[in-house]
Amino acid sequence: MLNYIVRRLLLLPLVVLGVTFLLFFLTQRLSPEMRASLYVKDPRQMGSLEEVIRQYGLRDNVFKQYGRWLANVAKGDLGYSPSANMPVAQAIKEYLPATIQLAFVTILFVVFFGVWFGCGSAIHKDEWKDVVARLISVGGFSLPIFVLGLLLLMVFYGQLGWFAPGGYSVHTDMIIHSGAFKTYTGFLLIDSLLNGNLRVFWDVLSHLVLPAVTLCIGSFALMVRVMRSSMLEELNKDYVRTARAKGLTKWQVVYKHAGKNAIIPVITLASIQFIRLLGGTVIVETIFDYPGIGRFGVIAAQQLDIAGILGFSLMVAVLFVLGNLLSDILYTAVDPRIRLE
Amino acid sequence: MTQPDEPILEVRDLKIEFSTEEGLLPVLHGLSYTLSKGRVLAVVGESGSGKTVHALSILRLLPPTAHISGGEIRYKGKNLATLSRAELRKIRGNKISMIFQDPAASLNPVLTIGEQLTETLLAHRKMSKEAARARAAELLEKVGIADAEKRLREYPFQFSGGMCQRVMIAMALALEPDVLVADEPTTALDVTVQAQILKLIKQLQRQSGMSAVFITHNLAVVAGIADDVLVLYAGQCMEQAPAAELFARPLHPYTQGLLSSLAPVHEKVDILPVIKGHPPVPGQLPKGCSFAPRCPYATDKCRQERPPLFEENGRFTRCWLREGK
Repeated sequence: MLNYIVRRLLLLPLVVLGVTFLLFFLTQRLSPEMRASLYVKDPRQMGSLEEVIRQYGLRDNVFKQYGRWLANVAKGDLGYSPSANMPVAQAIKEYLPATIQLAFVTILFVVFFGVWFGCGSAIHKDEWKDVVARLISVGGFSLPIFVLGLLLLMVFYGQLGWFAPGGYSVHTDMIIHSGAFKTYTGFLLIDSLLNGNLRVFWDVLSHLVLPAVTLCIGSFALMVRVMRSSMLEELNKDYVRTARAKGLTKWQVVYKHAGKNAIIPVITLASIQFIRLLGGTVIVETIFDYPGIGRFGVIAAQQLDIAGILGFSLMVAVLFVLGNLLSDILYTAVDPRIRLE
Repeated sequence: MTQPDEPILEVRDLKIEFSTEEGLLPVLHGLSYTLSKGRVLAVVGESGSGKTVHALSILRLLPPTAHISGGEIRYKGKNLATLSRAELRKIRGNKISMIFQDPAASLNPVLTIGEQLTETLLAHRKMSKEAARARAAELLEKVGIADAEKRLREYPFQFSGGMCQRVMIAMALALEPDVLVADEPTTALDVTVQAQILKLIKQLQRQSGMSAVFITHNLAVVAGIADDVLVLYAGQCMEQAPAAELFARPLHPYTQGLLSSLAPVHEKVDILPVIKGHPPVPGQLPKGCSFAPRCPYATDKCRQERPPLFEENGRFTRCWLREGK
């Protein structure tokens, strides 16, 4: 097991190198002048472009430039992001926790309701409960995320005014950036509670609900289908008959015996979706103007903020490898037949 | 106290049907027998004869497509065919338990052997987890699994097929049931392992004095273990007799065919006799005796009229040749 983890971690630099070099190579399609102009805020200084190009070696061969970037990364310096107006490393530190928070709440919803509806659907196969669950699932599956997001915004913000869109309220922003607010975890939901500030907690939560619900629907639909078919398959197996023959209750037969086997594919799906959410809540974060890492990535890409794009990709690559490793480890916890060698 | 001849399980005119797209398909046409205390009844038949379906019906474990369409299964005065679910659950695994054809698939792959054994005990007895665990270890040793403490923590995939069946037996006998239903318990195992498992079942059955219904397609298996034999063909009992008598003097032509197609141990034969033809397809039984198309003695009467069970000296035979004997 330890052996396996070490080997997977050794693979990590390779993946990161591959991803970042590919992107770095692509950014070289932009002329050195364009790349240099990002760092020049004041149009009156446009004359000094040549100086910037020389200073940062933007005309050097791509390998040399990439090597320089890597050397900086090794030192913990991801460069400066003009689009976020701060160093890339700081931007990630600032925006990533919000995304993790969103992804975590989303996946919690998805797993809870997905497993619940999926199991119910399987147990009451072809009865009305099953039909309703399948209808919801098909509906959720075919509703594009951007349509759903805008609909929710229209109803719950525009008409009912229950939840807020956009960044946190001014009050929250002021408090979390003041010295009195202590950062323990970087996750505002937890930190606000630890600080005993319920107003911030409520504000953060109300900004989380709509994006989380939007993200949930599609994943939930998939989760219900996987849980349902997995459960139906397990309920037909011989060991379920044995469990019934032993005189166990229906609850024990379904949840303890079939459930523990049926949940295995759900765990795969949930971990894949969680990783995807970490790097790819781009659309939802944009629609709701949610201060997460996906929105940072979009803005960086729109403004050709090369340091930002590279930093974002680097982070996503690392998260993917770590996330996959985590799901592998999770497997061994549920299925004793799986041994990581 | 129970008398030696006291009936434990009485099956009366049991009928089972499958629901198919073409309609209802009867697979068991009124099976009746009585199982007395301490006796082993072997139910012998080819695939499709209804023997497994019958075994599953005793504890109402039939697949959703099949159902009991008539008759009774009486255990100590209760009709298992119509008993409430809660009442039935108290009997399952406690008073009547079951072992199956494919032992490896019959155990839950993600639960430890210990968990699967103790939960059976805890489902029916008020006892502490520790006590259940100790009892589980005892049971494993009883079925010949060494190092029981350690093996309780292992999973089914760490056991061979024969070992899995031993675990299943330990589980089935955990609560000292009155009846064991064994559905082809040795079919999926190697021949040498088969013999060990059979010996084990026989030995434990003798010790505890429980009764057993032993389902098999293999007459050779029956010889060592059964007190009585019931031969099933196309969902009907063809012959029922004490094992020794049946082997010494089979009365039904089908039983005679089955016995003569067993390979003799001490003589060399070039070609084994076989019963020509195939058993009828369920739902398309011949008008007369269902065995008539394959029977070397079949008469016109056999082909026209369905024979009843004829009794002589405590044996039953469904054959017109036995009429009035």
